[in-house]
Amino acid sequence: MPQSLFAFRKSLDRRTEMVLGVLGFILFLSAWHLTAVSGAIRPEFLPTPLAVAEAFVRLFTERGFAEDIVISVGRVWFAFLLSVAVAVPLGLYMSTYRVVGAILEPFIDFVRYLPVPALVPLLVIWFGVGEASKIAVLWMGTFFQLILLIADDTKRVPAEYVEAGHTLGASNGEIMRHIIIPAALPNMIDNLRITLGWCWTYLIIAEIVAANSGIGHVIWSLRRFVKTPEVMAGIIAIGIIGLLTDQAFRYAHRRAFAYLRK
Amino acid sequence: MQNFIEISDISKTYWSADGKTETKVVLPLSMTVAEGEMVMFLGPSGCGKTTLMRMVGGLETPEAGTIALRGERLAGPDRRRGMVFQSYSSFPWLTVRDNIRFGTRYRRDLSKAEKDEITDHYLQMVGLGRYRNFYTNRISGGMRQRVAIARTLASSPDVLLMDEPFGALDAQTREFLQFQLMDINTREKKTTIFVTHDVEEAILLANRIVIFSSRPARVIREIDVDALIPAEDRRAGTADMPTFFDLRAEILKIIREEYKHSLEDA
Repeated sequence: MPQSLFAFRKSLDRRTEMVLGVLGFILFLSAWHLTAVSGAIRPEFLPTPLAVAEAFVRLFTERGFAEDIVISVGRVWFAFLLSVAVAVPLGLYMSTYRVVGAILEPFIDFVRYLPVPALVPLLVIWFGVGEASKIAVLWMGTFFQLILLIADDTKRVPAEYVEAGHTLGASNGEIMRHIIIPAALPNMIDNLRITLGWCWTYLIIAEIVAANSGIGHVIWSLRRFVKTPEVMAGIIAIGIIGLLTDQAFRYAHRRAFAYLRK
Repeated sequence: MQNFIEISDISKTYWSADGKTETKVVLPLSMTVAEGEMVMFLGPSGCGKTTLMRMVGGLETPEAGTIALRGERLAGPDRRRGMVFQSYSSFPWLTVRDNIRFGTRYRRDLSKAEKDEITDHYLQMVGLGRYRNFYTNRISGGMRQRVAIARTLASSPDVLLMDEPFGALDAQTREFLQFQLMDINTREKKTTIFVTHDVEEAILLANRIVIFSSRPARVIREIDVDALIPAEDRRAGTADMPTFFDLRAEILKIIREEYKHSLEDA
C-alpha cells in the first residue's frame, strides 16, 4: 500500500476511489439484506434486495418498464434543454448589463420561493393533463434556479480577464464570447448537472399527480397493490439513471476542461 | 518633441457607500510622458497612483481633465494601451502559446501567418518556448506574468501599463523578471508606466521616477534616474553602488514622510 487510506486531507488514486465506492454499495445492501431476513420488519414493508432485483426484472419483462423509462428521460431532457436555452442567455445578460439584472432579480427571487408542487394544480388547469403540463412543472422547477446560478457563474469571472480583453482590443461581444463564456463554462456545466438532478424530483411529482406513463406513474400505481418490491425497484431505477447521467456529465467535464486538472 | 502622453488637470473622487463622504483620490494633476520612456510611479500605498494609471488605460473615468495620446484625446480602453495586472490574468483555458496569440487576436490587419510569427517571436522573447503547450495553471507565477507581458506586447500597444506586475512574486523570480523586462525594453522601446511600491525596482527600471503624495495624489518629486545612474550600468549590474544607495535612501525618506502625513491627517 503506497499511501494510507486515512491520510489527513489527501486524495486517493482513482482505482481506490472506485473500489471504495463499490464497497459503500455492498455495505448498504448487506445491512439491508440482514435486516430483511432477520424478520424484524415484515416483508410487505421491507423485501430483501434479491426480491427487489427480481421485481426489477419483472418490471421490464411484464410491464414494459423500458418504455416508461424512455418517456421519463425524454420529459426530463426536453424540459431541461428548454430551461437551459432560455436561462443561459438571460443569465449572461443579467450579470453583464445591470439593467437586466435590476429588472429580473426581484421577480426571479419571488418565483424561486414558490414551491413547485403548489403550482401543479394551476399548471394542470392551464396546460391540461398532457405532456405540456409536465414539461411546465419541470421548467418552472429548474428555470428560475438555473438563471441565478448562470448569472452568478458569469459574475465570478475575474475583472482582470475582462479588463485585459478591453485593452487587447476586444469588443464587448468578443469579450463575452471569447473570455466570459470560456471562463465561466466549467462552473456553468457543473450547475447544469446539478439542475438536471432537480428535474428528476419534479418529474416524479408531475408523473404522480397526472400521468398514465413514466417511472413516477409506475411507482405510484403499484403502490395501490402494496407491491413494495416493484415500488422499490422503480425508485432504484431513478437512482441508477441519475448516477449514470451524473457520471457521464463528470466524464465529459473532465475531458472538456482538462486544464482544470491539477 | 510633442508630448506622447499628456495628462491635463485630471482628478478623481471616490464616494463612500452611502454617497455622503467623498475621498479625493487624485487632485487636479498634470504630467507628460515622452515616447519610449519608462516612468515608474512610486508613492505610499493607497495614494492613488494605480487609479491614475488605470485612468490612462481608460479603465477608470476621470472626473475632470483630459488624457491625450499623440495629441488625441482618450476615452475608454482600447488596444493602444496594454495592461499587465498584478494578479495573474492569463487565461487558464488556453495554453501558454494560445494566451500569447490571444494578444494578436484583435489586430484585424494581420494575416494568420503574421499572427503566428508575432506569437512565436514573443514566446521566444520571454523564454517560454519549452512551455508553449502548457496550460497556465501548471506553470509558476513568474512564468504566468511572462505570459501576460508577452500577450500584451503581442497586441502591439503604444503604451504599456504595468500595475505592480512583480508584486506577488518571490524575490529571486522578481529580480529575474526585472532584468528580463529591461532586456525587452531595450529592444522594444515601449513607452511604459509602471506602478510599484518597491523603491529598488523603481531605480533599477526607470528612466524617470515620479513620486506621489499620500492621497489625494499629487506629484511631489520627479527624479531623472538616467542622469544619476546610466541605464547601461544598471542593466550590466555595474551601477555605482553609493549613488544607488543614496538615491534609495532619499526616496524612502520622502515616502516615509508622506506616509506619516497621511496618518496624521486621518
